[in-house]
Amino acid sequence: MHKISANRKRLFTFILLGWVLLLIGDRIGELRQYQGAFVAMYALAIASIILLTGYSGQLSLGHSALMAVGAYAGALSINNLKLNPVIALIVAALVAGIFGLILGIAAARLSGPYLAGTTLALAISLPTIANQFTILGGEQGILFDIGAPPARFGEGFSQYKWFFWISSLAALIMIWMISNLLHSKFGRVFRALRDNQTAAQLAGINIGRQKAVAFGLSAGVAGLAGGLLVMLISGVSPSAFPLSLSFSLLTGAVVTGVYDLKGVMLGGLVLVAIPEIADSIGSRVGGSDGFTMALPGFLVSALLILAVLFLPNGPGKLLKKKM
Amino acid sequence: MIRNTRMKRISIVSAVAVAGAMVLSTLPAQAADPGVTSTEIKLGLSSPQTGTAALSYGKLPKAMKAYFDYINANGGVYGRKIKLIARDDKYLPTQAATQTTNLVLNDKVFALVGALGTATHTKAYAAAQLAKNNVPDLFVNTGFSGFDNKTKYPTTFLVLPSYAMEAKIIGKFIADTPTLKPQASFLVAQDDEFGIDGVNGFKLAGHTFTKTTLYPQGGLSSTLAEGALTAFSAAPGKPVIVLMGTTDTTATILKAAEKLSLTTKFNWIVGSVGGDANTLLALGVKSTTIDGVMAASFFPDAKDINDEYVSQFMKINMSYNPGVSFDNVVLQGMNSAMLTVQALRAAGKNLTRAGLIKAIEDKGSTFASAGLAPLNYSATSRVGYNGYWFGQLNAKGELLPYITGKRTLYTTDSTTTSAPVLSTYERKPIPKNGIPTN
Repeated sequence: MHKISANRKRLFTFILLGWVLLLIGDRIGELRQYQGAFVAMYALAIASIILLTGYSGQLSLGHSALMAVGAYAGALSINNLKLNPVIALIVAALVAGIFGLILGIAAARLSGPYLAGTTLALAISLPTIANQFTILGGEQGILFDIGAPPARFGEGFSQYKWFFWISSLAALIMIWMISNLLHSKFGRVFRALRDNQTAAQLAGINIGRQKAVAFGLSAGVAGLAGGLLVMLISGVSPSAFPLSLSFSLLTGAVVTGVYDLKGVMLGGLVLVAIPEIADSIGSRVGGSDGFTMALPGFLVSALLILAVLFLPNGPGKLLKKKM
Repeated sequence: MIRNTRMKRISIVSAVAVAGAMVLSTLPAQAADPGVTSTEIKLGLSSPQTGTAALSYGKLPKAMKAYFDYINANGGVYGRKIKLIARDDKYLPTQAATQTTNLVLNDKVFALVGALGTATHTKAYAAAQLAKNNVPDLFVNTGFSGFDNKTKYPTTFLVLPSYAMEAKIIGKFIADTPTLKPQASFLVAQDDEFGIDGVNGFKLAGHTFTKTTLYPQGGLSSTLAEGALTAFSAAPGKPVIVLMGTTDTTATILKAAEKLSLTTKFNWIVGSVGGDANTLLALGVKSTTIDGVMAASFFPDAKDINDEYVSQFMKINMSYNPGVSFDNVVLQGMNSAMLTVQALRAAGKNLTRAGLIKAIEDKGSTFASAGLAPLNYSATSRVGYNGYWFGQLNAKGELLPYITGKRTLYTTDSTTTSAPVLSTYERKPIPKNGIPTN
């Protein structure tokens, strides 16, 4: 009997997932489409963290800065080079990837808290640096306008559905590519780096080069997510990439299970849904302003603790066990 | 046979009736705008309620809500109660975009009121598709003149004068004041809309600074402030320092001057956004330091209990916003809420989004308001007030008219080199009990 290869299985799964998302996109309202686009964007950003931290063992606290690099590159491509928005998103990924590669080379000798500290410094300083260049629009930032959806989709095809399509498609394709990569030689090399660097070196792996490659790939994915984020808010400015974004993404990655890509959509969903759930609880239960304001943070913290206690490897692993 | 014929007739009549009903039900009805019913008008506000910006502006939503509650208790607007839904955007563009979209799509508000910030609101405006959905975007708290572009922001009305107007008027004030004119002058401003609009305004006014220091929002540390002040102090005489930034940055600079014992070395001029005395005192600036600081304003002082608007708003604040101290932000919030009520009334009983926008264009310049400068709304202008008066803070934080004992009001525009002019504008008296009847 002919056996379907794992690669084909993955491809079919992603195509099926794409169809499901298309169907869902048709049946939900504009707000849910908009939120869905955010979920896909966050899922992609979380995937970039999982690629770097979960698979190659490097900790980054500066992914918001890498997203900002991609976002600015994409916006400049649209505004100054008049590129097609889809090409601009690819440029966003490429420029952030190159930036990440250079950063990875510079930081190749760092690990653990030293690497975390370096990337943290990047996340704090990059928005301030962006303010210094007129071409980047200062605090006000610059537009990132992908324009109206193509006329052939009809009048009823809203901007939010367009966002949903682009965001979901970009996330699906990219996560499929990451998934393939992690099942290839690269994935094995990254895992070797993570598990035992000395053993990996003895096996002939160039540690510095592979760490830089992992950083570059992760940055490229983060850059694409940054491009999608500013597409959704129609413009890029330094304050769109606060340090808190990096921490939110890490939270999403821990909830997702930092060693597994399967739950990234769940991570994205958590980041989008928590403020909504907190709002809903706040309005039903009532309570002081302090309670309402602290509720989202409390829910995220509680979820983190629960995830670490009961699902340290993420819900994806749990499903695998049951199956 | 007869029975069959009758049944046939009944069937035909029923079929025609059903078909007619179906056709009628598919005809486009005159759809009412969202957020307005015979008993309620839903308004939305996205502003910082947490985070650092909330230190300065966190009181805004509650102040507006307090005034609307007061109006509701007195019959509402043509019998409709106003419901304000306030969402926290933390002064972050992403949050502003999602919260404003939530207000429009989820909460289905009729109009937005009192949004705050430029970088935040430009993103929110596009993301929530306010132009496409014709959602009125009322009394936005920013002075960025870019919002005066009716083609790009067809539903937006600003409440503040533009920063360019403010800069032109400060330039004129320096030129007209004999003690300030011969001194060296320095500008310390945020590198955002203040930078874009403010620096342009000074250029239009023909005022040249000895040195201009621009810094990113939130990026002026006390070390940088001390460095800048040390450099400025080398200028002879009593140089003028103009501060155009948020109140927390004004506090950083004034505290740096305290540390260097340079508070009396300079003539300080503070822009309207960063000159709230209560906040400065709360942020640890000494009362002796703010004593003598010159500030531009288009409002009466929030401590001036002799001002009829201030005293009325204070009463409302005590009853409907208990425990919250009355300051410039509360005054600003209640004033915007009163403008909103007048706009809703001006739009008439048959309230529509298009009607509301038209009403402000046609009648907005005649609304009663606490502002001491004229309102500038028209079919071609979306900027609110168009003037400032100059005052001097005393140690209690009260803004009193500069030297003459009488407020001197200048009015101007944002784009021409024509000099600001002295104005004799007298605002309308407050409606009885603060309840508009226009």
